[in-house]
Amino acid sequence: MAGKYELKRRRFLQTTAAGSALLAAPFIGLRQAHGQAAIKIGAQGVSSGSHADYGRQIQMGARFAAEEVNAKGGIMGRPVEILYRDDELNNDVALKNARFFKEQGVNFMVGTDSSGVCLALGPVLPELDLIQIFTHAATEKLNEDLVFKKGIKHIFRGSVPVYQDAILPALVFKDNKDIKRIANLGADYEYGRTSWAMFHSTLRKHRPDVEIVGEAWAPFFTADFTPHISALLAKKPDLIFATPWAGEAVLMLRQATTLGVFDSIQVWWQAMGGSVDVMEGISRDVVQGKFKNKLWATARYIWNWPDTPENKAFVNRFTDRWGRLPNYSAECTYSAVLALKAAVEKARSTKTADVIKALEGLELSTPAGKRFYRPEDHQAVYNVPAGRVTYDKTVAPIAHLTDLKVFPAADYFRKPPFN
Amino acid sequence: MTFDALVYQGLIGLSLAMYLWLLAAGLTIAFGVLGIVNFAHGSLYMLGGYFAFTFYETLGMNFWLSLLLASLSGAAIGSVMERFFLRYIYHLDLSYQILLTFGFVLIFADAARIFWGGIPLIPPMPDVFDSTVPIVGRPFPVYNLFVIFVGFAASVALWILLDKTSWGETVRASASDREMAGALGVNIPRLFTVVFGFAAMLAALSGALGTPVRAMTPGIGTSVIIDVFIVAVIGGLGNLPGAFVGALVIGLLKAYGVLLFPDADLFMTYLIMALVLLFRPKGLLGGR
Repeated sequence: MAGKYELKRRRFLQTTAAGSALLAAPFIGLRQAHGQAAIKIGAQGVSSGSHADYGRQIQMGARFAAEEVNAKGGIMGRPVEILYRDDELNNDVALKNARFFKEQGVNFMVGTDSSGVCLALGPVLPELDLIQIFTHAATEKLNEDLVFKKGIKHIFRGSVPVYQDAILPALVFKDNKDIKRIANLGADYEYGRTSWAMFHSTLRKHRPDVEIVGEAWAPFFTADFTPHISALLAKKPDLIFATPWAGEAVLMLRQATTLGVFDSIQVWWQAMGGSVDVMEGISRDVVQGKFKNKLWATARYIWNWPDTPENKAFVNRFTDRWGRLPNYSAECTYSAVLALKAAVEKARSTKTADVIKALEGLELSTPAGKRFYRPEDHQAVYNVPAGRVTYDKTVAPIAHLTDLKVFPAADYFRKPPFN
Repeated sequence: MTFDALVYQGLIGLSLAMYLWLLAAGLTIAFGVLGIVNFAHGSLYMLGGYFAFTFYETLGMNFWLSLLLASLSGAAIGSVMERFFLRYIYHLDLSYQILLTFGFVLIFADAARIFWGGIPLIPPMPDVFDSTVPIVGRPFPVYNLFVIFVGFAASVALWILLDKTSWGETVRASASDREMAGALGVNIPRLFTVVFGFAAMLAALSGALGTPVRAMTPGIGTSVIIDVFIVAVIGGLGNLPGAFVGALVIGLLKAYGVLLFPDADLFMTYLIMALVLLFRPKGLLGGR
């Protein structure tokens, strides 16, 4: 009996180990057909798990830009072609995808959702001799360390970095005297760690009386945040700073409402809560007033700002094309393709070194407003507001941000030499 | 840390444990009787959640009925998996088992993406549960109390079913000696189909229970299965009380870990698993 049992157990452990290895194995991404003289752009983002909509948005933004560019004659007469792959938020997969793109002869790359992944991918770009415009990953280490300090010129970022997630809310809430006790519910990786550090240090510079009362960290693929939320509530915070994003933000906010969080706190800052998929997911809870007007957020672009004809036209065309409002990763990727087009046309070349030069200091009109690629750290500077989450069916079929607070990015973005 | 905070966090941990327990019970039963390590068990959790969403939200059914129908749908899928697929690989090498059940993981995840899309789905909280009760001076979700109740009710039901009925006796007999049970006239193939369907039903129930609080996404199956395997390793295999204890250990550890060791809470789970493997390699209740 014991022997047989032992056998069963060993069999179980072996099976488990082998199967787990399989679970980690890469899924095959999508690839689109490619033509001859096309300018090829390799795009990657996450297309699996709770964050899958972000890869979808990167894909929609890139393809939509390519379609529009091609309808107007392409880039210097050459059509644009998009190749897309799922990076699974995984460094190794992302590197493999980049090498695959290189083999396929892509001219440029765009995308990447995770801060962890961007730090792994950035340093290999010179070896691949490829420029990538990152369009979502937000860690400041990308522009401050890799570009500015280490001089990796192949890296650009067309989306706002964690300054947006972390410094902006400190400016928005510094004058709110009801906020004395702050707590963090962080995404347990580079992005969450760096955002929280930047937020509390900026806020406490303005408000030395503010006290950090609790921290909880949740890794990717957390299904249940109730232990984290409940642990923080035990410390009676006035403000909760939350960085899990995408589907995880949606379910975390639902779990927060079940725990009665919004009866006891003043503000819940959901850094990337302005994202369209999060707004879609929480709309009904917003309609029912579950967040008691205490939920605040920003994004890397919101469709209802700026109030310009260019942005409105973009939102309409995008919504007609895909049946959904554009999320920030869609707009950032769309605008990154436009930036590459502008740079190639300015350089009259697709050579990496020429395009790098052309992108540095490029100023470009995009749906989100004017984007300026700082030459020192290759970071695009543009404004995105923060706001309170609300619902008004005369404005949009889903929840959106209101009470918009706009601060000039050129002021609150950290600046070279980043001391 | 106050005593109140510990009590409250303990209850949160207990509700986490109940989702795990329902999953681990199914995995344990399927393994104990059929000898199958079902990697797709987490996918059945996912499908249970999606089915509950469809019945409750899309088709507007009553919440209780949607829980029931989602569980039964899970059972139906499990039975089909056993009858038309697993049945043909019992005599083959172990690796076929992995490939087949892992194949189901991929198929179910992609099917979910096709049918329900990649965006997380979360229905509104049913009105009956949309409130809190004060526990140690803090609002505690009624829904979590309901989950805890279902977990314990399932334990009692399983105990009665497996220990007090003749069907349970047959199942236990087949688990300890398949050939002998067959020789005594038990219809083993049919029993296997029913047992595997039953195990799948428990996974689907766990997923269905999670719908109003844990959004469903195509990848959720793979993320829950890891915890369930840890539960099975800690508790001791083929052992239902072990699965229960393992689920409690992991559920409470997750809750208290965040409260007491916020920087090392993930590490705690693996530490406990490593310690169990070192000192009680057959699991906490897997002795003898």
